[in-house]
Amino acid sequence: MSTKRWIRCRGVSGLVALSLCVVATRMLAGQGAAPSTEQAGDAAGFKDFSVRVQAYLKLQKTVESKLPALKPTDLPEMITAHQQALARKIREARPHAKAGDIFTSAAREAFRHASRAALEGPNSANSRAYMQPDAPNPGMRLTVNGIYPDTEPITALSPVLLAAFPPLPVEVAYRIVGRTLLLIDVKSRMVVDVARRILPPAS
Amino acid sequence: MRRRGVLLLILAAVVTLGLSVSGAADFAFPLQANSIRLAAIGDMGTGDQFQIDVGQQMVKSRAVFPFEFVITLGDNIYTGSQPSDFEKAFTMPYKLLLDAGVQFYATLGNHDTTNERFYKPFNMNGANYYTFKKGNVRFFALDSTYMDRKQTAWLETQLRDAGNGDWKICYFHHALYSSGRFHGPAKDLRKVLEPLFVKYGVDVVFAGHEHVYERVRPQQGIYYFTEGASGQLRAGNLKPSAITAKGFDTDRSFMMIEIAGDEMYFQTTSRTGVAVDSGVIRRTIRPASGGVAHE
Repeated sequence: MSTKRWIRCRGVSGLVALSLCVVATRMLAGQGAAPSTEQAGDAAGFKDFSVRVQAYLKLQKTVESKLPALKPTDLPEMITAHQQALARKIREARPHAKAGDIFTSAAREAFRHASRAALEGPNSANSRAYMQPDAPNPGMRLTVNGIYPDTEPITALSPVLLAAFPPLPVEVAYRIVGRTLLLIDVKSRMVVDVARRILPPAS
Repeated sequence: MRRRGVLLLILAAVVTLGLSVSGAADFAFPLQANSIRLAAIGDMGTGDQFQIDVGQQMVKSRAVFPFEFVITLGDNIYTGSQPSDFEKAFTMPYKLLLDAGVQFYATLGNHDTTNERFYKPFNMNGANYYTFKKGNVRFFALDSTYMDRKQTAWLETQLRDAGNGDWKICYFHHALYSSGRFHGPAKDLRKVLEPLFVKYGVDVVFAGHEHVYERVRPQQGIYYFTEGASGQLRAGNLKPSAITAKGFDTDRSFMMIEIAGDEMYFQTTSRTGVAVDSGVIRRTIRPASGGVAHE
């Protein structure tokens, strides 16, 4: 190789290397920026969700305070009566409730991201195994203000998944049916809100 | 001479213990004064004839071994939450026990409705998880279907506050160790609970969910039992593994337990009254950081 050609080659290689460096730096910078935007969005989504849960709770407590208090009883009919009356009164108090009132669009995205992180990680097989057998019928009818059927099992919620979601007051709980996330009023078994396609599909 | 006699006695005791742990026919509950006597049932609430049969066998066994209370390992009522479901899957199969004043301390399974916690005969006092003490035994009844941070924080506080003097027995629905083919071990849950069990010296854990009976070899010094066949049964579903000490998957069963001082005697009895497993667990008081219990 002549000296001129060698210098030309070195120059091209240097330019390629420089370009690669710039691209890599931009890529890294991009990678750094994207999660922080996503994280901020998710934090805002979860915060809004928690505020809406509190608002629901206020309504629920107002409604329940007008009913005879449910205390431990020997009579299952008292438990059933309370459950049914509470569901009816809550339904009457929020007749126009619809999917997305509490699981807002931003909240749904946040739950999707949290679910993906929890269920696609290195231990996801354990979480899936814990949640899947004995799962409720994924085709069951799930509507806001409807009742979670007492004949359907409850999906055990992976502690990993629960830890990734905003904590809830005892009056409400998360439920999972297939890929759908529900917010349930525990005492009335009423579906407070439904968010579909939240959990990543099982691979 | 006296030393030799003591040594012989110790040797005899060791041999007896060894035999009883392996389920020898000569097993007998000591029925000591002031001992704690209980039964354990899981996945029983079918309301069918098999559950009734187990209930009747419990009554028969109680004539010989008068247990005072029963812990339930979840799936108490499969059929629904109407009053007729409580009648069919609980009060009717266990009527004679209830009439005799036997108390039930329930935990919730994935087939239970959360409102069962308000059913007084389940002694949950409206809580999904709770603790109670009988003699020198502290019981921790957990809700393994919904193990959130609130519950684990509560459990840690309760375990810590319980100190090291009493037996610590945890019970809940999902088995942390299992050789069942259908569910297998709840490893996700194990990751959260086992460190607490080890740290605070839990002695024994009872679970259900898997519709078989299995006694697991001690794991990190803790004894694990699965009794999920007191109504339901997945016949032939147990695939004995290296952790299996004893299993039974050909009929329904229930457990009877006596805790006398630092010894826990147990016997698992089939629906037809056959003793399918029995043994003695001797507790070693462990430091807070955990330790080893001995068979």
